[in-house]
Amino acid sequence: MSDRNPAARLSGLSKRWPGFQLGPLDLELEPGTVLALVGPNGAGKTTTLNCIAGLIVPEEGGTEVFGLKVHPTRVEYRREVGYVGEENGFFQGWTVRRNIDFMSKLMPGWSNDRARRLADRFGLPMDKPVNKMSRGNRTKLALVAALTHGPKLLLLDEPTAGLDPVVRAEVLDVLWETTEDGEHAVLYSTHVLSDINRLADELAFLRDGRVVLRTGRDELGENWRRVSFRLPREDIELVGIVEHRRVRSEHQVITRDAPATLQQLTELGAEAVEVSRMSVDEIAVQILKEGHHVARTES
Amino acid sequence: MLHALRAELAYSLPWLLGGLGIAVGVGGLLTGIIWFVPGADGTPGFLPEMFMIIAGMVVSFVIQGRRREERRSRLLLAGPLTPRQLAGIMVLLPPCLVGLAVLAATFKFGVFALASGNADLTTLGLTAAFGGEFWGYAQLGPLAQEAVAARRQQRGAAAIIGWAVFVGAVLVLAASMFFRGQTPGYLGLLMVIVSAMAVAVWLYEGRTDFTR
Repeated sequence: MSDRNPAARLSGLSKRWPGFQLGPLDLELEPGTVLALVGPNGAGKTTTLNCIAGLIVPEEGGTEVFGLKVHPTRVEYRREVGYVGEENGFFQGWTVRRNIDFMSKLMPGWSNDRARRLADRFGLPMDKPVNKMSRGNRTKLALVAALTHGPKLLLLDEPTAGLDPVVRAEVLDVLWETTEDGEHAVLYSTHVLSDINRLADELAFLRDGRVVLRTGRDELGENWRRVSFRLPREDIELVGIVEHRRVRSEHQVITRDAPATLQQLTELGAEAVEVSRMSVDEIAVQILKEGHHVARTES
Repeated sequence: MLHALRAELAYSLPWLLGGLGIAVGVGGLLTGIIWFVPGADGTPGFLPEMFMIIAGMVVSFVIQGRRREERRSRLLLAGPLTPRQLAGIMVLLPPCLVGLAVLAATFKFGVFALASGNADLTTLGLTAAFGGEFWGYAQLGPLAQEAVAARRQQRGAAAIIGWAVFVGAVLVLAASMFFRGQTPGYLGLLMVIVSAMAVAVWLYEGRTDFTR
């Protein structure tokens, strides 16, 4: 394994289900990067993560983790991967302690010390059966299982979905601390867009199985603006506009290219121009809306 | 792999013990009823032992469903196990459970024989014969599961082969009942068990989706 290899590399990855096709996807994730996969239900986020984890075999293309080929029959790459999904395969009737004990004998590189520290940190009820635990505690157990064998690539499928704000903050804290050293890479799918500000360096927007935009978190908000203005004309074609509402001569637009739009408005003689910044959530919604045309890469 | 198989067996044990308990209870009740039937010879016969073996087979089906529901392959594939080893666990679990049920039935027979001072060896022979048959039936569970998975994953040829072997195995099992305790019967059972195991492993290894 070479550290110069990307943490994950997807090359022309393609997977077909009846009525849905993922990809072809080309994606690279460098060590030390946290990439959020953002997309509506059925966009292909979970399938992408499952392909990287080697749980799903793609029809075309392939995946590498730190230069190691990913396939269910190969085991070398698995040590580098920690996966938290919605279901994680635990023995539901067993206690947390017994599940952890089982995993300690199964997983190479498992550290009982680290497991104990994480379990203490999360306040996991060690003697409670998994099927009697809340969703938050099950997610915590999955995180303990995913982190304790020391993987360098974390795949997280909506890790904070359905968690209360306190647990969510705890989970994000641990993830943030894990990635602090700059060696770990994290790829996580999320619906909770507020998590993005806390954790993600980059965002990849998935729609209908394709990446419609990959951008840095900070670059994303740079050119997106909500602009309102007065212009007594109906037939205006503005550059970079993704949404346009008009009531008589009052216009409100959302632009992904604010400098160009504002320049054009000045030339058209628009009055009472007001510009406001947009939150990541608002921008994400606009990007993922059907029929919206965006460049493949913006950064 | 052995660690995982042992864990699966330990996880299944409460269900197996529950199933055996119910089987002994129901078998005992029926034996009691038969005892008082006018004209019956009063021998308890093979009922409790047969129920215990059936319980082992039923529990093996329950456990198979539960493993799928709990997505065990996700956990095991996070470790160093290969799909072939996972398939091995899948096909070895049912015979282990039925085997434990057969052992329990034999033990029950032994205790009864000691207590009553009457060891009816026919019952012991029947326990072995039925044990073999139900071992074969239990093996059909993983085979059917993998044939269904192949169909879902649009592996048409694999699904057809899986179902063809399944139907063939059912027919051979049915035919082997007419030769119970005889060499052709045992050969039929052996053929079913080996072919069902081999094809289930082959189908599992060819999976394109290990998420459940």
